[in-house]
Amino acid sequence: MSADSLLQLLTQVIFITVFGVVCARAARHRTRANMDTALLFLAFTLIIAQQWASAVLRITPAGIAGAMSGAFLMALPYLLLRLVDDFAHVPRALMWSAAAGLVLAVAALVLYQLLPWSSGAPSPLPLPLLLALVAYFVALMVYAAARYITEARRASGVTRRRLQAVAAGSLLLGLLLVLAPLQMAVPRAAELWQIASRLLGLGAGLGYFIGFAPPAWLRRAWQEPELRAFLGRAAALPHLPDRSAIVEALERGAAGALGVPGATIGRWDEDEQALRFQLRGPALREALARAQHLVSQAPFWVEGNRFLLKPGRMIAGRAFAQQQVVLTTNPKRDDPAHAPFYDAVQTRALLAAPITAGERRLGVLVVYAPRAPVFAEEDLYLVKLLADQAAVVLESHALIEAAARARALEEAARLKDDFLSAAAHDLKTPLTTLLAQAQLLARKAEQMPEAPADRAGIERIIAEARRMSALVNELLDAGRVGQTRLVGQRTPIDLVALATEVCARWPPGRCVLVSAEPVVGEYDSHRIAQVLEHLVENAVKYSPNGEPVTIRVWSEGDQVRLSVTDRGIGIPSSDLPHIFDRFYRAANVDDRQFAGMGLGLSICRSIVEQHGGRIWVASTPGHGSTFHVVLPIKAGGGAV
Amino acid sequence: MNPAGASSPRQPDSYVLVVDDDPAILTTVSEILQFEGYAVRTATNGAEALRLVEHARPWAILLDMRMPVMDGWGFARALRTRGIDVPIVVMTAAADSRRWAEEIGAAGHVPKPFELLDLVGAVERLRAG
Repeated sequence: MSADSLLQLLTQVIFITVFGVVCARAARHRTRANMDTALLFLAFTLIIAQQWASAVLRITPAGIAGAMSGAFLMALPYLLLRLVDDFAHVPRALMWSAAAGLVLAVAALVLYQLLPWSSGAPSPLPLPLLLALVAYFVALMVYAAARYITEARRASGVTRRRLQAVAAGSLLLGLLLVLAPLQMAVPRAAELWQIASRLLGLGAGLGYFIGFAPPAWLRRAWQEPELRAFLGRAAALPHLPDRSAIVEALERGAAGALGVPGATIGRWDEDEQALRFQLRGPALREALARAQHLVSQAPFWVEGNRFLLKPGRMIAGRAFAQQQVVLTTNPKRDDPAHAPFYDAVQTRALLAAPITAGERRLGVLVVYAPRAPVFAEEDLYLVKLLADQAAVVLESHALIEAAARARALEEAARLKDDFLSAAAHDLKTPLTTLLAQAQLLARKAEQMPEAPADRAGIERIIAEARRMSALVNELLDAGRVGQTRLVGQRTPIDLVALATEVCARWPPGRCVLVSAEPVVGEYDSHRIAQVLEHLVENAVKYSPNGEPVTIRVWSEGDQVRLSVTDRGIGIPSSDLPHIFDRFYRAANVDDRQFAGMGLGLSICRSIVEQHGGRIWVASTPGHGSTFHVVLPIKAGGGAV
Repeated sequence: MNPAGASSPRQPDSYVLVVDDDPAILTTVSEILQFEGYAVRTATNGAEALRLVEHARPWAILLDMRMPVMDGWGFARALRTRGIDVPIVVMTAAADSRRWAEEIGAAGHVPKPFELLDLVGAVERLRAG
């Protein structure tokens, strides 16, 4: 067998194989597209059958039979155009003129009773007619190819490759027909034309094979990069903070992996007992709301930017309830009760897969396209894979959130324990004096009943009891931080006088007040005094070298400024932003040296802020710190 | 029992050292011990206490652990380095008073708030032992 015959046979086998595959597909799913595809390849097969018949019987068919092969050939572009029309709209005028052209071409061929495909012999078809036929064929082929290429650009993954292959095959077929007049024009290069036409035929066959009946391994090879990219992205998804962001990423990934425009995930909502989908775009929302009215007893409804669907109803709901992948290329036929819905979302093909992690039903993944036929059996497998991946991602995220919540609870419990033990410790100190002093008084009274009352001892008991009371109040205040209950009645007070009182409680020289003139404003005097006292107490506590602490009070426009400066151990810069947090102790404070609950500054901040003011600190470790407070003069004024 | 006052004939030239950063506790504990007839000196932190010890050796030390400048641990270490071997009773409000006492090799501990008799008893035992 010569190479030429081999090539021809190979091409013929390819076309017949594709015919077989598309016939089987059409028998399984009787969609218009599948039928048209089968028709197209029926035409190819009939051409090939005629070629074999004439080769075997060694006759050149004449008459009607002879014209039929040509007719089938002329039918190809029209049939291809019908296919284009199945998934993308072709102008009616074009369809009608293509049909008309076909009728004319067949008539012309029948009239001339000739096969334009004879090898080598010059065709008795008049040149004008031949050119007209070729022009018709090539024009339609090129148009069809162009439409396929445009669609391919909008698709991705497997679908895109298939569309590109069909476009290529069609162009090659067109080129093949162009060879016919060229063959007649330059008969000397007959062999060249022969080889060229065989190769073009083979190329077209391969193009159509890849486009209409790609083998599973090829499909998977095309899917692999998309799938791998999706899986790679999926690994990072559970750590996204926002669950709707994760769902959106999963949806986009699924749409990309399958090469379709749209994918949506419906999550099972236990409270609503429905599947919840995110809606993007107000247009879709309105369309769905309209559809809700059009469908009687609609099992779905729109709430804000969410779409809810009862399980077991409609295609997606069925997939979820039955835990099965469901494919439909005609949703209006498979689910006629809800036809207006599918019109509203402009879906002609739908693929739904349940998202289930172990026993837990998490939801359903729905992939849809406005045109059929885009999905095939392989896509069922892929969408199941994607749904499983989505289940893993969503479960992981749920677990991460649960772990974070558990940690937060642990942290809160730990803080509470720390707080309680610190509080207990701080209360024990005045309690020690209280108990011991009272017992000493009792002992003295018992052993020296005639001695006068130990006034100093009794005073000490009272002082310590007061101290405990103050501590208990501090604990209660700490609970009120963040609420508005810390600051009470505001009265006009002179802050300079207040500061003088605070300073006076310390041994002379320890606390120094610097101020120019009285500064009057409306404050809760008890609370502001508390703030000042605490700041000074801290300043003294953390200045073990005994250097004096300086209070400054002055007014600035409609604001009042206070500052407390010490030359003590200072505060490390890393602690500065946290120093006002509850329970916070700075890094350079040894818990053993400086006992305390760490509450004071958070209470101070709350008091200042509830007055409409601000408090902050500037500090140099090893040199000292200055705490600044700014307050509005009038209640209700906010300090900047 | 002698009223609070000068050193009793029982402990000539020696005293109990009470170290605590809380002045009210210092006063109360001093009063209690003085009422029992002991001579008492006080310090508000480890550094002050060390100066007193170097000047005149006490026969017992009641030691608070959490103090500024030099805490109880620092003080105990300083004593050890100087080879000063005076029995110590740890006095602290912390929950770990027993462990801290062991850490510094103290002779005993009296957790705050204490019963007066517990405090006095701890000091008595030191005198006897």
